[in-house]
Amino acid sequence: MTILKFPAIRAKQSETHTVLSFAAKASDLKNFAVIERVARDEGGALSGFQRPQIAGHIREIRDYLEKPEAILPNPIVVAFTTGITISEEAADGRCMVEIDAMGGAPGLVVDGQQRLTALSQVEEKDFQVFVSAIVCRDEEELRRQFVLINNTRPLPKSLIYELLPTVRGLPRRLGDRSVAADLAARLNYDDGSSLKGKIYQHTNPTGIIRDTAIQRVVINSMSDGVMRELIREPDGADLSFALVSDFYRAVQTVFLNEWEGHTPKTSRLVHGAGIMSLGYVMEVLALLDGARTVHDFSRGLACLVGNTAWTSGEWNFGENDRRHWKSVQNVNRDIVTLAQYLIGIVRADVKRRRADDVEPKQASM
Amino acid sequence: MKFIFADSLDHVDPGYDFLRDRYSEGRTPYWDDAYPHEIMGYAPYKGMLVSRGIVGGVAVGGKYTEAQAMRFRRVGAREFLRLDKPEFEHLPIFGDCGAFTYHKEDKPPYTPEDTAEFYDDARFTHGCSVDHIIFDFDEDLKGMEGGTQEARRRFEITLENASAFRSATAHMSGRFTPMGVIQGWSPGSMAEGARRLVAMGYDYLALGGTVPLKASQIKSCLAAIRDIVPASTRIHILGFAKADEIDTFGSFNITSFDTTSPLIRAFKDAKANYYLPSKGGKLDYYTAIRVPQALENPKLMRLAKRGALHQETLVEMEKKALSALRAYDRGEAVLDETLDTVIAYSTPAVTGSPVEELPDAKAVKDLRERYKRTLIDRPWKKCSCAICSALSIEVVLFRASNRNKRRGIHNLGVYNALVDQLPSNSDNNDHTQISGNPSETERNAHRSFVCSESV
Repeated sequence: MTILKFPAIRAKQSETHTVLSFAAKASDLKNFAVIERVARDEGGALSGFQRPQIAGHIREIRDYLEKPEAILPNPIVVAFTTGITISEEAADGRCMVEIDAMGGAPGLVVDGQQRLTALSQVEEKDFQVFVSAIVCRDEEELRRQFVLINNTRPLPKSLIYELLPTVRGLPRRLGDRSVAADLAARLNYDDGSSLKGKIYQHTNPTGIIRDTAIQRVVINSMSDGVMRELIREPDGADLSFALVSDFYRAVQTVFLNEWEGHTPKTSRLVHGAGIMSLGYVMEVLALLDGARTVHDFSRGLACLVGNTAWTSGEWNFGENDRRHWKSVQNVNRDIVTLAQYLIGIVRADVKRRRADDVEPKQASM
Repeated sequence: MKFIFADSLDHVDPGYDFLRDRYSEGRTPYWDDAYPHEIMGYAPYKGMLVSRGIVGGVAVGGKYTEAQAMRFRRVGAREFLRLDKPEFEHLPIFGDCGAFTYHKEDKPPYTPEDTAEFYDDARFTHGCSVDHIIFDFDEDLKGMEGGTQEARRRFEITLENASAFRSATAHMSGRFTPMGVIQGWSPGSMAEGARRLVAMGYDYLALGGTVPLKASQIKSCLAAIRDIVPASTRIHILGFAKADEIDTFGSFNITSFDTTSPLIRAFKDAKANYYLPSKGGKLDYYTAIRVPQALENPKLMRLAKRGALHQETLVEMEKKALSALRAYDRGEAVLDETLDTVIAYSTPAVTGSPVEELPDAKAVKDLRERYKRTLIDRPWKKCSCAICSALSIEVVLFRASNRNKRRGIHNLGVYNALVDQLPSNSDNNDHTQISGNPSETERNAHRSFVCSESV
């Protein structure tokens, strides 16, 4: 079949372009549209425009498409310069489209190449998708459409993260983030939370603590820390919430002056570096000290008083690493340095307390 | 002589779907993955080594994620490596600083004290002092002669650190064995380093910086060291890259050595990727067959970006190569046709150009010859380890981590059995005399040692 016919609907948008929409099977699309990747010939002349396929992205789409409830409402945008004729056009825009694929596929995929590739890998079903066809004057016009269509601004991450918990069936990459975003939101809105109203979110722009910082604490704990176990309990979500809330309540109690009324600019305690490095302190206290409550955590954190430089002075990370309180940045290297420094003190204190205890605790060092 | 495996998160997904090339549904990396001792059903080594450089942290960006590195220290190496089950509890866990990760630095980024703390927190059974690699090795120098100023500076740093490390680990005695690392620029300087370490009280020494050395050079160092230290002093060879020549090291009374070589060569070596024991108590090597992932292989990606190759065509060729190989394995395809299909696809990835552009290229011809040998001999049918039995031909496909690492783990098994069979280990090799399935003559031909301890 080299002439393909589809009932279509035409939208009046521009005098110089024809824009149509119709539904086609993925297998038909393969016959009339190609993905032309950007390349240069030996003389350096540019042809095509698409980037290469991204395997991971395609895999994610394919996983989704294999589900029975999968839908793909976004059209694949295909541009033509030749090989397409419109007939039987009615006043309301309804028409017939004929695509001549005799000499090869005349259409070029402008948008949706990863979706189309994923579609062609789904063997169980021949999915129908919407096709938006643009009839262009020439190659140049076609490339212009490609640039315009693909130059959209991605949504802000904090908005996506905030929406995640309300969405199900997400790829795992987003799934982990979703659990963390859910807990962060609860910490921000639950009346019992020590961080109520304090977390910056798209819908709470006056929050002080970065949502991504608190999410990172949760993600780390869920992947390699105490919440990995907690979350499996029947009331795992509540236990996890209580743990983080209690821990940061202890932080606020122990470091009242460095917490109250501060912003990340005036105190490293409410800064991403402080929040995230303290997350690792929480893990150490939870594992080695069995800490769970505000009281337990406060006792474990007390040894840090006098050894920190959250709002002034300098950090003493070792002989050759003394730095101004402000020079601790929100980068992994600094977070790990700060965390190791704090953990060192906390660990030594746990040991000391254990040695002093008449009845040694059960958790082993 | 103990073969210690130097790990760098070498675990695989036990539920990996080789036909669809997918991780198992809902798999969580690390947690749902299996270490070599888990997937093989026994430990194909006599202990593990974890380098501080691999774990990473502030000074050196390692391979562990930040959260993993933190957990490693919190729960300890044994739990992290999942060697905390009764059958693995006797295996030692060595630590070292990974001196190659900081060889360009003026001095090591770690102190003896924080290294002792690292070993203590993670409860290593053995740990190396903080050394600094010395380059410019000269075999012909006598005694302490020669050695650049830089070499001598590093020599002193290594020894000073070793001395401080002994004091810093003193409180761990009984549950931890400190190891003094030897660095030098010649056999004589290594011997002097060893002498001073013994004088400090070390009875377990670790020879460092051997990676760039030839086997013969390592031997002259060992000879010089053995001459000077008491016979009771134990010696470990760090990062032993010449692992395949271990059988020639018997006379030096080596207690242990660590290497990743059998695993790494499965996917880093151009030719020797799959190990099989040969009849003479040595190793046979086979070349794994490259079927790169059409959309993920960096070379193919580059060609696609330049527009030299069409990705849709590559995907088709990849599919054909895989089904040809599987059909060959089932006896449903003939050798030459299979080779043609595979070579047509392998060529762009290996040489960077499509096969029709270089039909006579020597590289392609050599590749074809090596693949031919692999296909004709079907070495995967001769091995009865858990991996080869489960995977069949997939184990010799050079393709992404789950196949490549499994092949590497199989190699560990073969290699471990080889080390066990060495005359110097003859007192403890009773349990390794195990045959494959006796009903299969092919496997019987290799019965002297196979890569699984229990079948």
